[in-house]
Amino acid sequence: MFDRLEILQLARGLSAYSGARQSVLAENVANANTPGYRARDLPEFSEAYRTSTGMVDLRQTRAGHVSGEDQLSPLATPVFEDLQADPTGNTVSVEHELTRAADIRSDHNRALAVYSSSLDIIRAAIGRAR
Amino acid sequence: MTDFSQARSIAASGMAAQAERLRFVSENLSNADTPGYRRKVTSFEEVLEAGMRTGKVQTGPVELDQKALERVYDPSHPMAGADGYYDGSNVNMVVEIADAREAQRSYEANLRVFDQARQMSRNLFELLRR
Repeated sequence: MFDRLEILQLARGLSAYSGARQSVLAENVANANTPGYRARDLPEFSEAYRTSTGMVDLRQTRAGHVSGEDQLSPLATPVFEDLQADPTGNTVSVEHELTRAADIRSDHNRALAVYSSSLDIIRAAIGRAR
Repeated sequence: MTDFSQARSIAASGMAAQAERLRFVSENLSNADTPGYRRKVTSFEEVLEAGMRTGKVQTGPVELDQKALERVYDPSHPMAGADGYYDGSNVNMVVEIADAREAQRSYEANLRVFDQARQMSRNLFELLRR
């Protein structure tokens, strides 16, 4: 029943989204010196997330992208970023990636804060305020 | 959770690749005065598993820099020819130091990503603790 509370669903979605985005970011940073590597990122959360038929879920933009078992929920496909390439054809900027890492961390913390305080409200409602 | 462990293993592959690159830099530096030594260079490439990209990175095959060896004039040197010159190494200290710097910078970026993925998964576990 708690699954259907939109705020929990939204918080869970944002936390899964930041996890997936962190993993895309790790690929970029690991390949920061790989010739010809192009940086990727997930689309904005607002794009990856939408309301459909009253239920909310994460959109899968291309079938077959997500391998299924190893992902918690279907997420948007990483897209190439339009950035300046260095002479080896690599488009990763470490500074850019690290500022994005800070964004991801704050998104994730926010999602967890929303989730845990919603749980507190539910607990209070059933008379077990902590 | 799988996203975080994936992010961690990708960042770890980045650190391993950068460390290996640093090893070649130190080999080159220590052989800077070895006659006839050609500097070793390696490149990075994405790791593929069964043709699918994994996001991880590894160092490619080691190659010897084909740049001309430095001609050093020293008639008293045992390897000097009739004209008094012998072939030194083609290691350029400035290039090696710059390479070492870049390796260190990329290594640190990978370490940051690793640490952040770890913290994010720890924060997630905090939800269960309450």
